[in-house]
Amino acid sequence: MANLKEIRNRIKSVKSIQQVTSAMKMVAGAKMRKAQERMEQARPYAYRIRDVIQDLLPDVDRSVLKLLEVRPVKRVGIVVVTSDRGLAGSFNTNIIKHAHQEIESVGAENTDLICIGKKGADHFKRRDFNVIETHVEFWNELDFNHAMKIGNGIISHFLNGKVDEIRVIFNEFKNVATQLIIVDKLLPLTFDAGSSRPQNRIYEPSKESIVKSLVPRHLNVQVWRYLLESFASEQAARMVAMENATDNAIEMTKSLQLEYNKARQNAITTEMLEIVSGAEALKQ
Amino acid sequence: MQSLELIIVTPTRVIEKKAVTYVRCPGLDGSFGIMSNHAEAMIALDVGPVKYNDLKGENWLATSGGYADIKRNRVLLLVETAEFREEIDVTRARQARERAEERLHQENADRIRAKSSMSRAMNRLRIVQQ
Repeated sequence: MANLKEIRNRIKSVKSIQQVTSAMKMVAGAKMRKAQERMEQARPYAYRIRDVIQDLLPDVDRSVLKLLEVRPVKRVGIVVVTSDRGLAGSFNTNIIKHAHQEIESVGAENTDLICIGKKGADHFKRRDFNVIETHVEFWNELDFNHAMKIGNGIISHFLNGKVDEIRVIFNEFKNVATQLIIVDKLLPLTFDAGSSRPQNRIYEPSKESIVKSLVPRHLNVQVWRYLLESFASEQAARMVAMENATDNAIEMTKSLQLEYNKARQNAITTEMLEIVSGAEALKQ
Repeated sequence: MQSLELIIVTPTRVIEKKAVTYVRCPGLDGSFGIMSNHAEAMIALDVGPVKYNDLKGENWLATSGGYADIKRNRVLLLVETAEFREEIDVTRARQARERAEERLHQENADRIRAKSSMSRAMNRLRIVQQ
């Protein structure tokens, strides 16, 4: 028979956990709404600029810009976008698991990792992977300058020939309950074979100068979108995880309360039995 | 006459207009007009005003640099910012102009940055004053 005081203490501690998780849920919810809004604003621009690049590429001589180079792929750079903090359900676990698959398909000896977010950075560093770059502790004040800094960092490895291909693994925000893990090939820039070469297109001031300014812009905007998608997904995952935790705590308090009541009833019954039998004994 | 579809996309908003008859954009080499059946083109844009005509008349926007992609009566403007005349924050633009002026007079200031913020502020103010 569980001790009454013990049960009371457990109920108290479960209740205080419940308070913490429900507060965290509220915080994540508020952050998620903000992040979702920012992401939804940024999406059309990112998609449009990608379409424009798709249109432009077949018409461009790739030798004008080093970023347009297509080399035989010897080394692959994999960018893993995780969060800085945990308590977000399986958010980080899933993406790290996926990253492992991706690394395996290329071969660990041919991959260089760029980790965005502390969770991924810690995980892969501890396991002695080739982590060539990390970006951590910026999620709270995320802005476009981070995207530019991270983007330029990623691109530099392609430009100096360290890696010949760059893939980005990130969570795409579908809705509050679902995040999709996406693997996006950032570089080299390729286009669908189906897209036809535009005829007699006019370029002003020149095709070359447009490509030179548009391509870096495109890459930074895509990185920006990855960050926004991942941040919104992280908050959504945390919100759902904390909601589940709160529900579990409520469930647990209920069953503990039941146990407590039973124990109390039992104690009363025992006590009464003792009194009655004591009285009986006196009578005789 | 065929009409144009005008789509202006910035990192924070999307403006879509149908039944547009004429668009004037600030190209790097001076402004240019687009009417229906324009040739396919890709043109870099400078900071400046965008004007378009639709059934209601003339409309003005302040934009700050980007690209115009013209394709089959669809004009896509990918620009950094786009504000309608009535959305422009005049006080803020004035302050930005003053700040930029101050910085241009300083010795060790970043002149390129100051000049570009100056041109953005001037563009906004010019559109408001029209």
